[in-house]
Amino acid sequence: MSLPSFQLHRPRELAEAVALWTEHGAAAKLLAGGTDLIPSLKQGLFAPDHLIDLGAIAGLTGISRAANGDWLIGAMTRIHEVAEDPILGREFPLLAAAAGQIASPVLRRMGTLGGNLCLDTRCLWYNQSYLWRQSCGFCLKKNGAVCHVAPGGRRCWAAFSADTAPALLVLDASVEIAGPAGARWLPLAELYSGAGDHPLRLGRGEILSRVRLPAAAAGMRGSYQKFRIRNSIDYPLAALALALRREANGAVTARLALTALNPAPVLVAGLERCLAAALAADPPDLAAVVQLVNRAAKPLSTSTVPADYRREMVLIQARRALEACLA
Amino acid sequence: MITAFTVNGQPRRLELDPATLLLEALREHLRLTGTKCGCDDSSCGACTVLVNGQPALACTLLAAGCDGADITTIEGIATDGRLTALQRAFGRMGGAQCGFCTPGMVMAAKALLDGNPDPSDGEIQAALSGNICRCTGYVQILASVRAALAEAAGAAADAARPKAAADAQRRAAGPTPPPQAAEPQSAHG
Ligand SMILES: Cc1cc2nc3c(=O)[nH]c(=O)nc-3n(C[C@H](O)[C@H](O)[C@H](O)COP(=O)(O)OP(=O)(O)OC[C@H]3O[C@@H](n4cnc5c(N)ncnc54)[C@H](O)[C@@H]3O)c2cc1C
Ligand code: SF4
Ligand code: FES
Ligand code: FES
Repeated sequence: MSLPSFQLHRPRELAEAVALWTEHGAAAKLLAGGTDLIPSLKQGLFAPDHLIDLGAIAGLTGISRAANGDWLIGAMTRIHEVAEDPILGREFPLLAAAAGQIASPVLRRMGTLGGNLCLDTRCLWYNQSYLWRQSCGFCLKKNGAVCHVAPGGRRCWAAFSADTAPALLVLDASVEIAGPAGARWLPLAELYSGAGDHPLRLGRGEILSRVRLPAAAAGMRGSYQKFRIRNSIDYPLAALALALRREANGAVTARLALTALNPAPVLVAGLERCLAAALAADPPDLAAVVQLVNRAAKPLSTSTVPADYRREMVLIQARRALEACLA
Repeated sequence: MITAFTVNGQPRRLELDPATLLLEALREHLRLTGTKCGCDDSSCGACTVLVNGQPALACTLLAAGCDGADITTIEGIATDGRLTALQRAFGRMGGAQCGFCTPGMVMAAKALLDGNPDPSDGEIQAALSGNICRCTGYVQILASVRAALAEAAGAAADAARPKAAADAQRRAAGPTPPPQAAEPQSAHG
């Protein structure tokens, strides 16, 4: 299928890309590896007049160490490099596990880390051809006025479904945003709005340029649990990342995040306190922790697999991840 | 806009609309129809080609983004009209039935073997796990890659052996038996 026509820009500098993106605003889209955007263009989900390809910009790729020991990963670094870098994998096995289960081997060579974090949200009623959507009735995320998932409301609940986001959230990552006013860093959680129809909190002209992983998170135990129908190619339908460390004084540092369930990746609040209480009991009582995860997950009928099934799966994932990291 | 790349060793310059996909450039502009369009939504692997030696989905890449790249398609891997060991094995072992997935399978397998001449079964399965086949059930595809590897290993062993000794061994073994799994096994016996 041919793509709708557009003007293609291939800037060589990040500043040039920011300037183009600021100039064209809503009439433009950013193209990284294209593994999310190109199929969406074919489905008529976007019809930009301008496409700004970030692929020719030197300096947006690669994995390096900052002077203070933190890790920096360029937004255009390919997913397979993130999954397979031996040193990064030793320090952050959780990130390698999450990245290594994205899509398929070929798609991991094409897709980028920045594109993964900026992935559009997904829904059964949305990721379909124009003809399909026209036949079944457009929805409010694109071309329509109603939500088929929650018909009473005016909100879109499409699920944010990137795999690296929960892993990076529990590893306390931050992201660098380059924009017309210069660059700023923000905690990854603040990138996401929670609204399915405009999932990212990026202003006009803003581009995600780097990801920072704090040295303090290196060496944490981790578990990535992903549910999908086929163990290759498919997007997650429910997934969970847990990072955990037992400190010398016996305290436990732990963070847990979910993806593919809510319109944003969710860092579960209150996890550490709940886990400490659970571990104080003899034998440890993990049921309360699983209940905390249950309350944070909001699967709705955005996929062919029923929401109830995805909820059951995330509870099993929570238990498995806790058992793996506490063993 | 003008896009220039090398396809199967030949430099090509094409005047293309910027929205042209690599798959369209190959199939419609260069008439290289060996690369197939299966799903057209990045999820089947039928359109796999090599871009600078790396496997890539031609249905998901802008041709313009490949400016300056070295592209290899299924048409470009045979030498002097002789199919590669991998291609012959797919034919011999039943790894190709309707054949629609085959160009993508062969290119994905080639990308694996170029980087890893001695993969395990698990590594072969993982490398091909983005390629969907509706016919074979995948068992024959794994067998095809294994057979190509065995042929390559046999050729290497032959090359390493002094010729006279090899000839003597062949004479001692009598007439060459027909290759064991030469024909695809029919389910009807
Ligand atoms: C069949 C299939 C299966 C998949 N399975 C999975 C899966 O299991 N898990 C998963 O996480 N993903 C999956 N994906 C999605 C995708 O392959 C990956 O998420 C990939 O990492 C996206 O990166 P990209 O560079 O290709 O993004 P692109 O498609 O280029 O971009 C994605 C979006 O992000 C925006 N964007 C890109 N880079 C930036 C930036 N630097 N700053 C601001 N905005 C930006 C783009 O404008 C676009 O809206 C799958 C895709 C396919 C086709
Ligand atoms: S959640 Fe509702 S509005 Fe959002 S994509 Fe699905 S059907 Fe459309
Ligand atoms: S045609 Fe490209 S992946 Fe299916
Ligand atoms: S041989 Fe028919 S799809 Fe694979």
